[in-house]
Amino acid sequence: MDQISILAASAMRSSMQSLDLLANNMANASTSGYKGDSEFHTVYTSEAAEADATELPVTLPMIQRRWTDFTQGLLEPTNNPMDFGLSGKGFFVVKGPNGPLYTRNGNFRMSPDGTVTTSDGYPLLGQNGQPVKATDPGQTLQVAPDGSVSQNGQPVAQVHLVDFKESSALSKQGNNYYQNTSGQEPVDATEAQIYQGKVEASNVSAAHGAVRLVNVTRQFEMMQKAISIANDMNKEAIEQVAKV
Amino acid sequence: MIRALFSAASGMNAQQLNVENIANNIANANTTGFKSRRAQFQDLLYQNMIQPGAAASQQTIVPTGLQMGLGTRAVSNEVIFTQGDFSQTDNPLDMVIQGNGFFQIQQTSGTLAYTKAGNFHLNNTGQVVDPNGNLLSPPITIPTNALTMSIGADGTVSYTLPGQTSAQQAGQIQLATFANPSGLNSIGNSLFQQTDASGDPVVGTPGGQDGVGTLLEGYVEQSNVSIVQEFVNLIVSQRAYEANSKVVKAADDMYQQVNNLKQ
Repeated sequence: MDQISILAASAMRSSMQSLDLLANNMANASTSGYKGDSEFHTVYTSEAAEADATELPVTLPMIQRRWTDFTQGLLEPTNNPMDFGLSGKGFFVVKGPNGPLYTRNGNFRMSPDGTVTTSDGYPLLGQNGQPVKATDPGQTLQVAPDGSVSQNGQPVAQVHLVDFKESSALSKQGNNYYQNTSGQEPVDATEAQIYQGKVEASNVSAAHGAVRLVNVTRQFEMMQKAISIANDMNKEAIEQVAKV
Repeated sequence: MIRALFSAASGMNAQQLNVENIANNIANANTTGFKSRRAQFQDLLYQNMIQPGAAASQQTIVPTGLQMGLGTRAVSNEVIFTQGDFSQTDNPLDMVIQGNGFFQIQQTSGTLAYTKAGNFHLNNTGQVVDPNGNLLSPPITIPTNALTMSIGADGTVSYTLPGQTSAQQAGQIQLATFANPSGLNSIGNSLFQQTDASGDPVVGTPGGQDGVGTLLEGYVEQSNVSIVQEFVNLIVSQRAYEANSKVVKAADDMYQQVNNLKQ
């Protein structure tokens, strides 16, 4: 294959991956606590091409990594006392089956024994590393913006909110959970506040998504045209130039 | 490419379920004691194209990786147990629970069901029943010749007989609470059933220290559906559906162009 076709094909592949990311964002427009993904484009340059300075190096566009946009989602009022809307930078810590998981989805429930859990049954952890547990399971919990949980006027626990230096480095686990695979140490979140009876909506913007959708499809179309042109040029070269 | 198609399809499915849930809420806007439900969604598993934290070279690691999400799914539509508005009926058998409690209803199968709907009636033998004829538990019987009856805030049911000045006590209404009322199973007719998720009922006397709430006689509790809120959700949900269908269209167009590469 010639260079133009290889370049264009690589760009088409990146566009397809962009669309995959975009489709996932749009599908999660109603997922509470969801944070939209974007992509970082980069160019791939082979080492051999870099070494050979005489020729223009062949570089291929590709998607290098994902980047999660952690901007605040709207706090939607639900009036459910077990919805803890998180405002500001930070994550809830829940006890997953293989170590701690982090989430911004504040939709919790109370298990029959009073433990506050996510919809998957993972307990929400408090400041002391123990699950937040109500003393009187039938009664409503009160959560203050600073994360202190009380019941019938008596303090019960303190919700542990953590933050990371580089939140994008967290790995998305599905079901609204993040896992810390980057090796950075979680620190206590200082600016995050909890609003009871609200839930943080997805931060995916439909308008932004629509613009990106147009962008991706048009770019894809252009690259397809480039391949067609390259094809035509090859055809001409073979059929016309060689004609004696 | 196929990923984008299926992600968008999962989004459309999710929004359809959202609309169905909103439709049920709006349809029950005038149902006594109805509690609205709210659909909850989660993102699906991620496909790791480049694992975050993997070694990029001997010294460096990949800072964020490339993870492709595969769409969304509906995880639950939980019941929102906020108090509905009260409307006055002056019917002595209409009651509102101000608090977390539920009335206990004896079903014909013998098992107990729980409800917030406090519109009760008397059957032909004078027993207090719900609109479907199921007995209130513990059972309360009002003699057919009783002149007046009243229910106190603490659940005491009393009546007066002709020719008597003092009221007779007919029984005591008891209410149940659950650790996780959102985990109750809706079985229709405004009734809920306990599940492992809801926990066992804790039965208590209204107005006391049990925290089950107090009773208010002569009122019924309207549904807690907010029509404005539901319509706003409907608009958001419909637009999200539309956006996802556009992604399907875009994926389809791109696929078509790939197929046209070979002329």
